[in-house]
Amino acid sequence: MINTFEERDVAVEKRFIHKEKDIREDIAWAQINKDVLKSLERPRMLFWVIFIASLALFMVGVSCEIYQYQTGMGVANLDNPHVWGLYIGTFIFWIGMSHSGTLLSAILHIMHADWRKPIYRFAEAMTTFSLMTAGLFVMVHLGRVWQFYYVVAYPNERWTWPNFQSPLVWDATAIFTYLTSSMIFLYIGMIPDLAICRDNATGFRKSFYTFLSLGWMGTDRQWANFRVTYLTVACFLIPLAVSVHSIVATDFAVSQQPGWHITSFPPYFVAGALYSGCAAIITLFIVLRYVFRFEEYMTMPILEKTAKLTFAIAMVWTYLNLVEYSSTWYGDDMYAKQALIYRATGDFAPYWWMMNFLGSVVPFTLAFKRIRNNIPAMLVISILLNVGMWLERWMIVSPTFANGIYPWTWDHDQWPSLVQWGIVAGSFGWFNMLFMLFCKIFPSVSMYEVKEMVYHRSLVRKGTEDATQINPELAVEGGIAS
Amino acid sequence: MSITNLLNNWSFYRNKRPYRGQYDLNKEYSEYKWAMALDLDICTGCNACTTACYAENNLPVVGKKRFHHGQVMHWIRIERYWDEKMVDFPEQGASFLPMMCQQCEAAPCETVCPVGATSHTNDGLNSQNYHRCIGSRYCSANCPYKVRYFNFWNYPSTAWPAPLPDQLNPDVTVRTKGIMEKCTFCVQRLNEAKSRARTEYRLVRDGEVVPACVQACPTSAITFGNIVDPNSKVAKMWKNQQVDLYKDLQEKDNTVRGYRILEDLRPFPSVMYMERIRDTEA
Amino acid sequence: MSKSHMLALFTDFDEASNAIRELKASNLEGFNIKDVTLKSPIEHPEIEELLGKRPVYVQFFTLFGAIFGGLGGFTFISSSQATFLLQPKGGKPVIPIPPDMVLTYELFILFGVYITVLGFFIGAKLPMKRHKLYNARVSEDQIGILIKADDTAMPAIKDLMTRHKALEIIGEGSK
Repeated sequence: MINTFEERDVAVEKRFIHKEKDIREDIAWAQINKDVLKSLERPRMLFWVIFIASLALFMVGVSCEIYQYQTGMGVANLDNPHVWGLYIGTFIFWIGMSHSGTLLSAILHIMHADWRKPIYRFAEAMTTFSLMTAGLFVMVHLGRVWQFYYVVAYPNERWTWPNFQSPLVWDATAIFTYLTSSMIFLYIGMIPDLAICRDNATGFRKSFYTFLSLGWMGTDRQWANFRVTYLTVACFLIPLAVSVHSIVATDFAVSQQPGWHITSFPPYFVAGALYSGCAAIITLFIVLRYVFRFEEYMTMPILEKTAKLTFAIAMVWTYLNLVEYSSTWYGDDMYAKQALIYRATGDFAPYWWMMNFLGSVVPFTLAFKRIRNNIPAMLVISILLNVGMWLERWMIVSPTFANGIYPWTWDHDQWPSLVQWGIVAGSFGWFNMLFMLFCKIFPSVSMYEVKEMVYHRSLVRKGTEDATQINPELAVEGGIAS
Repeated sequence: MSITNLLNNWSFYRNKRPYRGQYDLNKEYSEYKWAMALDLDICTGCNACTTACYAENNLPVVGKKRFHHGQVMHWIRIERYWDEKMVDFPEQGASFLPMMCQQCEAAPCETVCPVGATSHTNDGLNSQNYHRCIGSRYCSANCPYKVRYFNFWNYPSTAWPAPLPDQLNPDVTVRTKGIMEKCTFCVQRLNEAKSRARTEYRLVRDGEVVPACVQACPTSAITFGNIVDPNSKVAKMWKNQQVDLYKDLQEKDNTVRGYRILEDLRPFPSVMYMERIRDTEA
Repeated sequence: MSKSHMLALFTDFDEASNAIRELKASNLEGFNIKDVTLKSPIEHPEIEELLGKRPVYVQFFTLFGAIFGGLGGFTFISSSQATFLLQPKGGKPVIPIPPDMVLTYELFILFGVYITVLGFFIGAKLPMKRHKLYNARVSEDQIGILIKADDTAMPAIKDLMTRHKALEIIGEGSK
């Protein structure tokens, strides 16, 4: 029963035996069910405040989009040659945010880091919903959104196909693959929990969860198939997530615009994606912990681990960012160098410097244990980090249009109109609304995996204290007793 | 769409362009390659070409406010540069450069269009299919010359109040909001001349057809023609200026003044400019 | 010989595995270890092993899906590009290999995932109707052993289960 990872865990436990535990190991399993199912019933008031505010914000975005749809892209205050603006920047932001769900659920799953278990479900939901939001931005950005299906390779009588060379078609394919795969992954991982909901629900909810849980009974056959499937899909999702943001990076890297035509863009984008995603996980962690009273499961040690992860990824991002600057600075491409100088000194300079400050300097606060364990501070820092990452995407997209290769572009200053800002704000409303609805309807803490976590940890503890003899006291404490 | 087609023509589908021998007077469907030569020394910056283009191609006049927003639709624009220091009168230092779509042989805009709305025609033009365009604006983002113009507003409903629609060119469509457009080398004229020539079992003669800007230029700064025909005026000019269509970096002596803009990005443009002779030494 | 079902619930997982171990060794008339179904709230690879080899075929679905997605994807993309006769783009070949590889890769993953999940549904026999001896406590904290055996063997099995501190034993008749 004790495989190598658990043996390693034993060693770690021995070394840090005094350390605060990720989760209480004597928590009763029925209590886990009860606590999590309670989140489907009566959340704190803050839930409704966030939900209504998000709905209102979303309505703002919808009305902006209706106006833009009716009038034309001109209301966004884009111009020739400044044809891309906040829409594409925010699109990258949302795509990026989706990546840490996969990080938590797939990469850490394969690495047997079991502290992810209480928090991976909502991270995965975040993946799904931020991809949906990103998909909306592709639509919003199009001049003729009513013809968007031209990008889809569907058979037609004229035998016309999309241009498979275009990075936008790669994008569409990659996002479709990622969205559907991560939705499937989320759903498959949730089936055992949906069965728990089914067993405890009444009325129309019962038929709803009965339908969704597909008759899951937890038989050995189901679990064995489940295990293989979950691992396989996780293995698919990791390269997929990397490829999705690499493809988004190629949107820019394959083009000729100075400041975009950089080979280090794909890893840079992936690092930025994980970075903003981890920061978003911290934000949502704190919100969910309060709103649904998940203090027992979303514990401080887990928050601290996430913060450490964020710090590490922030440093990777900073490194890749400096690589980009220095390779441009010392490189031979005068257009790119000039675009870099423009970003640091031109019209966008305040935002560019703010981006560097928020992205590279602010994460150093996470190096301090006292800050990592301070919830209000973590909330503020995680939001600041995401502001920095949003600015980063904007700074990638916009300044290059104002300082392109051709001199005609140099005297164009451009500022996004209220319609653009409204739609960007609306996207945050849309995301929050969907996310909050999800957490209300589905268990946002994985019940069966928390049980596994508790069970395995108690087994490990039993192994450390007495490898041969079963300690009756611990066997009871270990969650086996109801 | 069949595997046999794929296997039979594989090497053809793997051809890179432009390659020497791509255009040939004796080969059907490849006897034309439209090209331009533009002498900046003759250009006076009078904007007649721009005006002619507005009239010929139904370009909307956007008004002062939208012009300031940069939403102007001039397919050919006169750029002014003030790079020569003139102490007495700064205006003397102005030089002009008419800029239109360069109809690149390896156009950066074509590869990135998600729906394939822009692609290369047999006669070497960079075509734009308005019906297919969904307005992702990627082509404009990737165009190094920034000569693509996007319909930010629904111009057909505002730009031509009655009775102005009567002056629209019936050979050219008007473009709705949300699509990209650009200089076509007046493809409506070219196609008409080509089909007329075809009915007479001949090729289009040199000078038989010119775009509106060439026609309107009062100083004849722009020369247009079929560069495949070695006897055409434009082919002779390219040859004299030692500019080769198929080369990305030209080898030439410094007595000539022909060049193509941003050649180092390897788009293989079809427009050759001839440098202005500067009188700075005097 | 008529067969019937019996569900025994355990709170102690070690007892449950001991019960299965003993059941396996007992060689009762009219009972086969293949007819034992374990129902548990969490994954128990170690107890599942006791039940004997019960192979999972999901990975073959994955293999098929991934190969189908990759090869089929490339064929589809390149052959549809070839229908753009004489419409080369940007000086690139009509069938450019590097961009097609990107899409081939995506389709390889897409079909890999889809057909894996299809395999999961087939392998786990989902969606299915719940067995009538299903007990909601299995999804909470108890482990259930569902046994299908001849009526003659039932008392012996029941006795065995009781010996291993089964919390509750639900027979088919009692429902």
